[in-house]
Amino acid sequence: MPSDITERVDRRAFLTLAGSGGIAGLSGCIGFGGDEESGDGGDGSGSDGSDSDGGDSGDDAPDTIVFGQPGALSGSFDFLQPGVSQAADAAVRHINEAGGPLGAELELVRRDTAVDPQEARTVATQLVENDNAAAIVGLFSSEINPLWDYLQDLRTPIVTPWPGSTFLDTRGGDKGTPSDVSDDEWVWRTVVGDTVHTGGSAVYALEEGFETLGIINGNTEGERSYVDGFLSVYEQNGGTVAERVEVELGSSSYQSALSRLFDADFDAFLVSMPQESAITALSDWSDGGYGRQPILSDTLAQQAVIDQVGSDLHGAWVASPGRSGPSYDTFEDIYNEEGDAEINGWTPPSWDSVQVTALAIERAGSTNPEAIQKNLGPVSRGEGTTVSTFAEGKEALANGEEITYRGAATPTDFTEHGNVFGSVTISTAESGGFVETTEVAAEDVREYVAEGEY
Amino acid sequence: MGLLQEIIFGLVTGSYIAIAAIGFTLIYGIVNMINFAYGEYISIGAFIGFLAANTLPGPLPVAVVVAMIGGGIVSIILARGFFTPINHTGPVPMLLTSIGLGIVLRNGLRLVGGRSARYFETETSTFQFDAIPDLPVGPVDLLGDFFVTSEQLVVVGSAVAVFASIHLLLTRTDVGIAMRAMGDDESLARVRGIDTQLIRDSVWVLAGVLAGLAGVLMAVQTNVSADTGFSHILQILSAAILGGAGSPYGAILGAYVIGLVLAVSTAFLPSSMTGLSSAVAFVILIAVLLVKPSGIAGTEVREA
Repeated sequence: MPSDITERVDRRAFLTLAGSGGIAGLSGCIGFGGDEESGDGGDGSGSDGSDSDGGDSGDDAPDTIVFGQPGALSGSFDFLQPGVSQAADAAVRHINEAGGPLGAELELVRRDTAVDPQEARTVATQLVENDNAAAIVGLFSSEINPLWDYLQDLRTPIVTPWPGSTFLDTRGGDKGTPSDVSDDEWVWRTVVGDTVHTGGSAVYALEEGFETLGIINGNTEGERSYVDGFLSVYEQNGGTVAERVEVELGSSSYQSALSRLFDADFDAFLVSMPQESAITALSDWSDGGYGRQPILSDTLAQQAVIDQVGSDLHGAWVASPGRSGPSYDTFEDIYNEEGDAEINGWTPPSWDSVQVTALAIERAGSTNPEAIQKNLGPVSRGEGTTVSTFAEGKEALANGEEITYRGAATPTDFTEHGNVFGSVTISTAESGGFVETTEVAAEDVREYVAEGEY
Repeated sequence: MGLLQEIIFGLVTGSYIAIAAIGFTLIYGIVNMINFAYGEYISIGAFIGFLAANTLPGPLPVAVVVAMIGGGIVSIILARGFFTPINHTGPVPMLLTSIGLGIVLRNGLRLVGGRSARYFETETSTFQFDAIPDLPVGPVDLLGDFFVTSEQLVVVGSAVAVFASIHLLLTRTDVGIAMRAMGDDESLARVRGIDTQLIRDSVWVLAGVLAGLAGVLMAVQTNVSADTGFSHILQILSAAILGGAGSPYGAILGAYVIGLVLAVSTAFLPSSMTGLSSAVAFVILIAVLLVKPSGIAGTEVREA
């Protein structure tokens, strides 16, 4: 191949190309963007526009109803997705076996966001505009927070098992007025917020005598939120922070950050980072012989963390959302029939998000997003007949009864801001894995959360 | 801990970057293209090394050698398949091709390698040096107690071995001298009888070998995943630009400047700004380019 016609690039051209190429390259790192499972597009939305919140049988019910599930099929949290996907799939199967919402076939369309806000925006639009999703049963804190205004404009209920962000403590839900959507915000979460389980973690830390803390956290919204939630309870109850170091994720070494952190005097240190970066940081911590008591954020309760860091990590503990929902056993039986993915802290909430949304459709008698939004509160709170699955709820609604869904992860008793309370499980690292050592009851945590602020 | 410890951390980080930056800048200097897929070459090297470590008998160095050989083979195959056919189109189409190839390779690795990160099984020893005087200057201790790990020594040692090998290659071998000649003026090199395609192929193989080594070293410290190399590509690119794009010696210098700035800024920035250490490194990059647009060592090396 003749090469003498190839012109050399001067430096300015190189820098221009490098810059533009870098931007293009970064934009290309988003992942697959395709759907893991695809429905047929369905016709499940906007069928009649009815605002009825009674037990309408849905005369013009569609043949297919679609739920969209943005997921972490790739990216930093993809190791949690199998359990969440399996729970959602199990819920869909169970609902369809029970006759489906409004007698229609429920389908789940799952698309990868790689926990990237821009990709999440694209995926949310695709799910609503192209897939005709009646509701969205996913999205992370890191996606919801920057896209908040956009998601409100989308006016489609988002019932998600993922976000712990304190940003959502006072955002979302129906504000206690189900029939009036004018004050609504369209996000609900079926997992307890960071405020709750970090509060439990903080309470436990103080009970164990760790009154001064060092903190190392990633520089993303989720990691910051976790720490902020922890500190709001920890400092309120007498704890002090000696040093806090924020780090970029994906680095090849965290030794400089650890060196800085451990120059301070503290009893224990809190690590809030995604798993892969946390393993690198904790391995550096072990190599450096820094010692002291590690407290880990909830996503780090994974066997891989212990395996890679080694015995130095033994005794580290994690506070994660408990599995104390009234219908956990029912969920677990159906879940295990679906596959063998490991259950994590976001698995039961994924089941709950699909169940409660399907029940809202059944009660509304419509797949209109506004009708669903109006019925999420009524099927989850109040004094109606307690139901633990869609099948029970469908039957009760058919009998003209009001229902109250009691979930697998928590009681799923939505607050006015679309949040749920639940217990907090403390697990301790041992050679065989994380062992559940104690549980902080939901009532105990609730006393640290001011009324109306969650 | 004192400044000495931070410098050690910076040297280790710089060594990771330097090994990869040499391969990256050689491609630019001699093949005349910016290869944005180079991060994926590193990831492929990490995967090959991991596969070798888990299937072949022998210690980790065996896997490193396999990764280097495999990296070289993959690099020349990709070059022959995607870049050599469009050599005549100039740097822009080749740049765009490399971006596309990088995306394809990264997602291909995700599909083949799975979504979970994998880890090398290694043992690390730590050597503590205590009772070192602090030697304070103002609020900063210049010395003080420090430690190094066996892993850090291996990384720095590997980097030094690579630097020496590259220097010998470029100054003592016909292939290396031909590479430098092509880097200065390809047409003139051809007139003087240099087989330029052979030299291009040699550069691709060499860059792949270095990517294989960098991939295993990075993966031992972090993990093996589709993003192992990609997550460092901006640092590698910056090192190449900072040192003087096309200059391997400049890339080495640029890598250590970035490594040291990352370490020192993390240690001494205010608490609320420690997550911005990379930004500080890029500020330095911009400042250097404003003062000396050819990069730190660009001109000097071209004249060597």
